[in-house]
Amino acid sequence: MNALPDPVTLSTTLPPLSAGWGTVPKDRHVNEAEPVIACRNLWKVFGDRPDRILSRLNCNPSAEELRQSGLIAAVRDVSLTIGRGEMLVVMGLSGSGKSTLVRCLSRLIDVTSGAIIVEGRDIGAMTETELIDLRRRKMGMVFQSFGLLPHRTVVDNVAFPLEMRGQDRSTRIARAMEMLELVGLKGRESYFPRELSGGQQQRVGIARSLAVEPEIWFLDEPFSALDPLIRREMQDEFLRLKGMLSNTIVFITHDFDEALRLADRIAIMKDGAVEQCDTPERIVMSPATEYVAKFTSAVDRSRVVRAAALAIPAEGTGAEGQPVAAGQTLRDLARLIVSDSRAFIPVADAQGHVIGALDRQRAVDLLLGEPA
Amino acid sequence: MTAGQARVAWGLVALAAALVMLRESLPSGLVRPPEWMVLPFADWINAAFAFLRDDLGLMTLTRAFSDVMEACLDVTANLLYGKNRWPHLGPIPWSVIAVSAGMVGFALGGWRLAALAGGTFVWIAVMGQWQWAMETLSVILVATPFSVALGLGFGVLAWRSQAFERLLNPILNIAQSMPHFAYMIPVVVFIGVGPKAAAIVTIIFSVPPMIRMTLLGLRKVPPEVVESGKMSGATRWQLLTRVRIPTARTDILIGVNQVVMQCLAMVVLASFIGMPGLGQKLLQLLQALKIGLSIEIGITIVLLAVMLDRLSKAWAMKQPVHHMPGVRWIERHRLLLIWLGLVALTSALAWLHPYFIEVERKQALSMAGPVDASMKVFIRAMTPVTEWLRWFLITWVLIPLRDAFLWLPFAAVLLLLAGIGWAVGGRRSALVCLAFFLPIAMSGWWDRAMITVYMVCVSVLVAVLIGVPAGLWGAARPVRAARLLFLCDTFQTFPSFIYLIPVVMLFGVNDVAVVASVVVFATVPIIRYTIEGILGVPPEIVEASSMSGATRGQIMRHVQLPLALPTMMVGANQSVMFSLFMVIIAAFIGTQDLGQEMQRALSSTDVGKGLVLGFAVAFMGLMVDHLILRWSDGRHRSLGF
Amino acid sequence: MQRKVLLLATTASLGLCAAAAWAEDSSDPIIIPIHNWSSQIVMSNVIGQIFESLGDSVEYVPTDSQAVYEAIRLGDVTFEPEVWEGAYGASFTAAVEKGGIHDVATHDAVTREDWWYPMWTKEACPGLPDWQALNECAALFVTPETGDKGRFLGGPVDWLKHDQEKVDALGMNFVVVNAGSAAALWAEISAAEEQQKPIVVFNWTPNFAEAVWPGEFVEFPAWEAGCDTDPSVGPLPDKTYDCGNPANGYLKIAAWDGMPEKWPAAYAVLQQVNFTNAQIAEMAKMVDVDGMEPEDAATAWLEANEDVWRPWVE
Repeated sequence: MNALPDPVTLSTTLPPLSAGWGTVPKDRHVNEAEPVIACRNLWKVFGDRPDRILSRLNCNPSAEELRQSGLIAAVRDVSLTIGRGEMLVVMGLSGSGKSTLVRCLSRLIDVTSGAIIVEGRDIGAMTETELIDLRRRKMGMVFQSFGLLPHRTVVDNVAFPLEMRGQDRSTRIARAMEMLELVGLKGRESYFPRELSGGQQQRVGIARSLAVEPEIWFLDEPFSALDPLIRREMQDEFLRLKGMLSNTIVFITHDFDEALRLADRIAIMKDGAVEQCDTPERIVMSPATEYVAKFTSAVDRSRVVRAAALAIPAEGTGAEGQPVAAGQTLRDLARLIVSDSRAFIPVADAQGHVIGALDRQRAVDLLLGEPA
Repeated sequence: MTAGQARVAWGLVALAAALVMLRESLPSGLVRPPEWMVLPFADWINAAFAFLRDDLGLMTLTRAFSDVMEACLDVTANLLYGKNRWPHLGPIPWSVIAVSAGMVGFALGGWRLAALAGGTFVWIAVMGQWQWAMETLSVILVATPFSVALGLGFGVLAWRSQAFERLLNPILNIAQSMPHFAYMIPVVVFIGVGPKAAAIVTIIFSVPPMIRMTLLGLRKVPPEVVESGKMSGATRWQLLTRVRIPTARTDILIGVNQVVMQCLAMVVLASFIGMPGLGQKLLQLLQALKIGLSIEIGITIVLLAVMLDRLSKAWAMKQPVHHMPGVRWIERHRLLLIWLGLVALTSALAWLHPYFIEVERKQALSMAGPVDASMKVFIRAMTPVTEWLRWFLITWVLIPLRDAFLWLPFAAVLLLLAGIGWAVGGRRSALVCLAFFLPIAMSGWWDRAMITVYMVCVSVLVAVLIGVPAGLWGAARPVRAARLLFLCDTFQTFPSFIYLIPVVMLFGVNDVAVVASVVVFATVPIIRYTIEGILGVPPEIVEASSMSGATRGQIMRHVQLPLALPTMMVGANQSVMFSLFMVIIAAFIGTQDLGQEMQRALSSTDVGKGLVLGFAVAFMGLMVDHLILRWSDGRHRSLGF
Repeated sequence: MQRKVLLLATTASLGLCAAAAWAEDSSDPIIIPIHNWSSQIVMSNVIGQIFESLGDSVEYVPTDSQAVYEAIRLGDVTFEPEVWEGAYGASFTAAVEKGGIHDVATHDAVTREDWWYPMWTKEACPGLPDWQALNECAALFVTPETGDKGRFLGGPVDWLKHDQEKVDALGMNFVVVNAGSAAALWAEISAAEEQQKPIVVFNWTPNFAEAVWPGEFVEFPAWEAGCDTDPSVGPLPDKTYDCGNPANGYLKIAAWDGMPEKWPAAYAVLQQVNFTNAQIAEMAKMVDVDGMEPEDAATAWLEANEDVWRPWVE
């Protein structure tokens, strides 16, 4: 249902549904060579006349220095590249600048300095018309407190972006109904937002953001305003949707577990700067800074680390027999790891090709904690 | 208040006191504004207006605008009371309007609103006031949409451009504190008299709250809603019309509610320049001393106000409700169909019997006889009390006070105000006070302004003496509070002119009568804000004090009153505003203050004089407003809520 | 009401034909001002209904009685049937000087405005209506606000009645207190009536008060032209205002300069319109005492007084 750019990508981006999306994110085809969004040395400084400080930005002033001159740096010297089809989760505590960053990427706010290239075009240089056109065709966004229009019914909310780009009523209603069905809100189309629960409202928000088939999908803490139980349910729902789509995703959250659960790559932010940007495993296995380590220390690594991450070249290990799936976490494989007698266990990708071998002793250490 | 601030403030007050002590030996330039200080503002304004009107040809523009207005007025006049104009359809029978209003009430708020809305129109019809009420409504019906549209437009502009907002804000402040008569005069000059002039004055008077509510509403739109609109690819115009304004709906509709209420407040006053209908009839009846009939009209105005207030509030608060899919058209439009049926039924009744088209005066019910009789009995019974009160207040309170106010050297008054300003808000407030009061001294109306000040002071004082105990008594029980607030609303909406006559009958033409009539209005906000203040004290604080063993009296004195004081001061602020308005109207009893001059300026259409007097009154109000709000803000902050 | 107008139209059809024969009136409505006293409203309605019987369309607009002259000058209002010399003479003359308004005709009715008392006052002060007798009774009129002097309740200041000057010139033991409106005057009289308390107020004729409270004007030294400006005129050689107000002020009809051209037939009738004191008092009474609506009172008056107005249309 989502018109994809080319059939080649289609075959590679759509994972086998049986495996479940959360479990095999690495199979999602990420084309690093073709960045959808690239930003370089991005600065966003709030305060009176931030341009005065612009010349000094190259010297990379610290947050403290800026605060002394009455300015607040919400985004400090951020450079990121997001490949086609990738899902980047930006994680940070409140005030870390993650929401500002996503608003810069969508140009809801103008950056102070730096460039943002979306599909080869600098969006900072776009005219308002071009920007509106870009949003109407390529972008969708989901908001923390939903941002629904209170005076419109659910279906009219979902159809709103289509209305903006001038589609006729019957087409856009048909499309909106399709989206509502996708997010499981069939039958609620004539309700008003205030008549729905929080989770349902966010489903409307998701349906709306997907109505224009966006190539780039921004989600700004979409589940933070929801109860823990609903949040879990919505995450599952999100993973299901993600499995059916192939768009590039930028997902903001303050919840490290959520980040681990959903991300291809995680960017951890602090005081406006990116502390570390890497795959969940690598962040967990080798945190780059103390700050990142604080998050990872409490994490049960076995739930994050996948077989693929521990795989070493199979040659010479003598690994044979039934392989384990590359996308499975050690926790998923716990029983097997503990009870199996092989020293090395082959690891196979989704197509069944063996890509390496898992050192069982290392896996046991990780599962039970390093020996003291 | 910092120590330094207190020192300067006391210094200024002491200086003022010294001037008062030494009054007899002061040079006359400090006692009264010296001649070089008094500037001919009125002449300047008149010259400016003459230039605008004659040389710039603004007249053609205003006339063109008023012609548009007139065309609209003709339509509503035809529909409502059958004035011989296009579209030649009216008059709509009263019974049809009554059932329609009832249906609107039902749709917005159920049976109670239906009864209120329908009942109001039935009352108007059977009391034989149909023609007058429709004349009034025909103007309001035109003025309201214009006001709403203008307010929305200006509100959006002010929201878009900070510079424009900064320009608009002081204008709105002055417009909202200027006595109504002051801006009627320029309207008479530019538009003339008649319903269109009345409509325009009504529009000018009712636009400011709409602008403010629009601005407030647009500011309150959640940023995420706006961002979601932007991300949906909305252009600025789409964002404004389909995202921001609809989302600000409730605030904007509260603005509409305020517009309607302001329009109704103008019903009587605008009849001085040609508003037909209830207001004009009311003044005629009062002129012929027909109290009973005027009270009937007063009740009609109150009923209309209450009805329109409740309807528009219900509309503002009403949230859309969905229909399940598959519900048939008939069921979705059940109310519409019932309404059409009722209209058909009442039209048939009207066709059968003219009583259902319009109740003629001869067929009308009236309670004027008994009302007049009981008024007579009441006045007779009260006479011994009022005679004594009049003697006592005039001889021992009012005349000495008034002489004292007039005796004060003007320099001492200015210093005192600066001192108060300094105490409340430092140098800035002191300068604000002077900036507001110095022009009054420079206008050449010092003595009259002091008489106005004296009457407002006395009235607000009396209002506090009555209002605070009444408010405390009312706040003790929620039911009582609700009833008292309802009474306050009624007193406030009742046309002020009606109070003037009984007050003159009781006290005669003198300051007692003026103060009495002003107090009626000035007490209302004091009661309301006292109740609000007391009820607003967090219950856990009261509970904590009871658990500390405080008696009810102690709780009142040590907990509730101090915490409610900032809110009560806001009431005092409003009380001053209401008093200023009413003192001007009380000129119809007979005063020697700014109000009397204002009346003269109106009858001689002297724009310059009228505006100068209007500004003088507005400046007094704004100064008090600044001082009280400043104080109460600081207090609220230091109390931490 | 409209039906009655139609009836009237047929009775007046003769006059209509005659009038319509020599000129065509504009179809725009003739704007008649309505003020806040009943005789003026009834008179406006009487004249308006006569105009309607000529085929003209007529509209009534409530207007301030001082501001109306400015409105007539600009053509917003077509004519004013009651121009009182005492109250509005100044505004009228000023407007005439500016241009755009002119004097159409003068009623037979004379107006008088002066100190007045209701009859019960005479019981307490039997020497009335002589002003010197009133001055001797000054103590009867004492109020708290006037101290030991009697109170004279004057009309609103903007009526410019020079009562204080009169008190000063004649050395009277009175203080002038100005009421803010006519309604305040009536309220005071009505309250005084309750207790039969002596009261002396500003009043004028013709108006409805005469019918409700019988009373008399105080007799001051008779008005002579120049009494208000020339000290030598009047009984006291060195004072101005040492006399009463004119006992026979004019009551005029004023019209917009454009009226004769735009509504020639109506204007011709207006030139003939002429009321007497008795007629005006009767009209006021129909509304103020009998409680009729002004429109109905006008219709009733026209029905009862055909002999009076028929000659105006012919």
